[in-house]
Amino acid sequence: MTFKALKATVKGILFYAVYLILWMFLAPLSELILGFHQMVETFVVVYIILIIVGEVTSGTIFKHFFDAAKALFVICYLILSLNGGIFGISYQNLSLIVDLRPLIAIVTLLSLLGFAKSVFQAINFLNEKAERFQI
Amino acid sequence: MRIPIRMIGITTTFFWIFLIAFFVSAVYSAKDLHFDFDEPQMHITADDKILFSLPLTITNKGFYSLSKLNLTTQILDAENSIIASGTSFIPIIKRDEAANVTHNVTIDFDELLQHDENFLFNDTELEIYEMVSMVIADLIPIQASTNYCMPWGAPLYNFTLGQQHYEAANSTYIRVNLPINFENHAFFDVAGNIKIKMYNHASLLLGEGQIFMDVPQQSFYNGVVEFYILRSEITDNGYFSVSISTSLFNYENWVIPYGE
Repeated sequence: MTFKALKATVKGILFYAVYLILWMFLAPLSELILGFHQMVETFVVVYIILIIVGEVTSGTIFKHFFDAAKALFVICYLILSLNGGIFGISYQNLSLIVDLRPLIAIVTLLSLLGFAKSVFQAINFLNEKAERFQI
Repeated sequence: MRIPIRMIGITTTFFWIFLIAFFVSAVYSAKDLHFDFDEPQMHITADDKILFSLPLTITNKGFYSLSKLNLTTQILDAENSIIASGTSFIPIIKRDEAANVTHNVTIDFDELLQHDENFLFNDTELEIYEMVSMVIADLIPIQASTNYCMPWGAPLYNFTLGQQHYEAANSTYIRVNLPINFENHAFFDVAGNIKIKMYNHASLLLGEGQIFMDVPQQSFYNGVVEFYILRSEITDNGYFSVSISTSLFNYENWVIPYGE
């Protein structure tokens, strides 16, 4: 259990470190888009929680549930927070519309692939468990 | 089953890294995209149309090329009706390249007057709506729009006919002196003819005269039209019919009553 907790902590810290590095490049965007920083931070927090919970429950069927939840969370959060992919901001009398639908489509496909992987892993886990039980 | 699962895992990880790197670099490189708008200008073309031109320099110092750059300008009146519009299209601006474009919108003054003749006599403001759309890195479409106002100076501001003076020419005819004045607030010179027809209260044409004018921009015009009318047909009231003809516009049969 200690090893699992340690592994989860290391994974969480690593993910947060990657986020901090990437944020250095995305920071100028937060000056333009109100609430962008908060939106990304909420995503990172929830994702790290799912990573930690997934690691802590590794070796059980719940790990795969949390992995699947992680994949679905990415899809739902991006679609909801980016307003379906059409992202608009206004500054004084300038309005900017960014069409992120192609990007969201790719993210959704990758997340669905991740979701499929979790389902396969869950099936495999139950399969191996059943085989061990038979032996 | 473990190997296919691992392969899916490796593939998704690879694509995630690629996608995140692409998105972050695309956003980061957007800050190296510069749009330099020069002062918008208005000219008169050789075929006597008003040309609104906006010189623009786009510098792409980002990591990716810009494609399908479309610049659209719409000129609107006070009621938000479209008076004129123009579009400029640049297929691609590669990285570390700059593109200079002069975005033009042509306005036909006669069409403008058909839309609203107040443009001739009253100073107003034209609303300019600018829209730029492009595709960054061949994947992310972006559209930016803004609007601003541009002052419009009327070429015949405060056009007035003064009180007509009658002078006896002979026993049959009377000479009429009719003062005309206005201010040219436009960015162009107004050169052409003013034709006046005088009618009595029974709408009988008494006489007509015309005067040539050449009024530089931002200046005052003061002229007198002279013509002869029959003494017997004159009445206390009636109306003048004013027709103004220039290379830029024609405005005809403007009725101004007198003696009321």
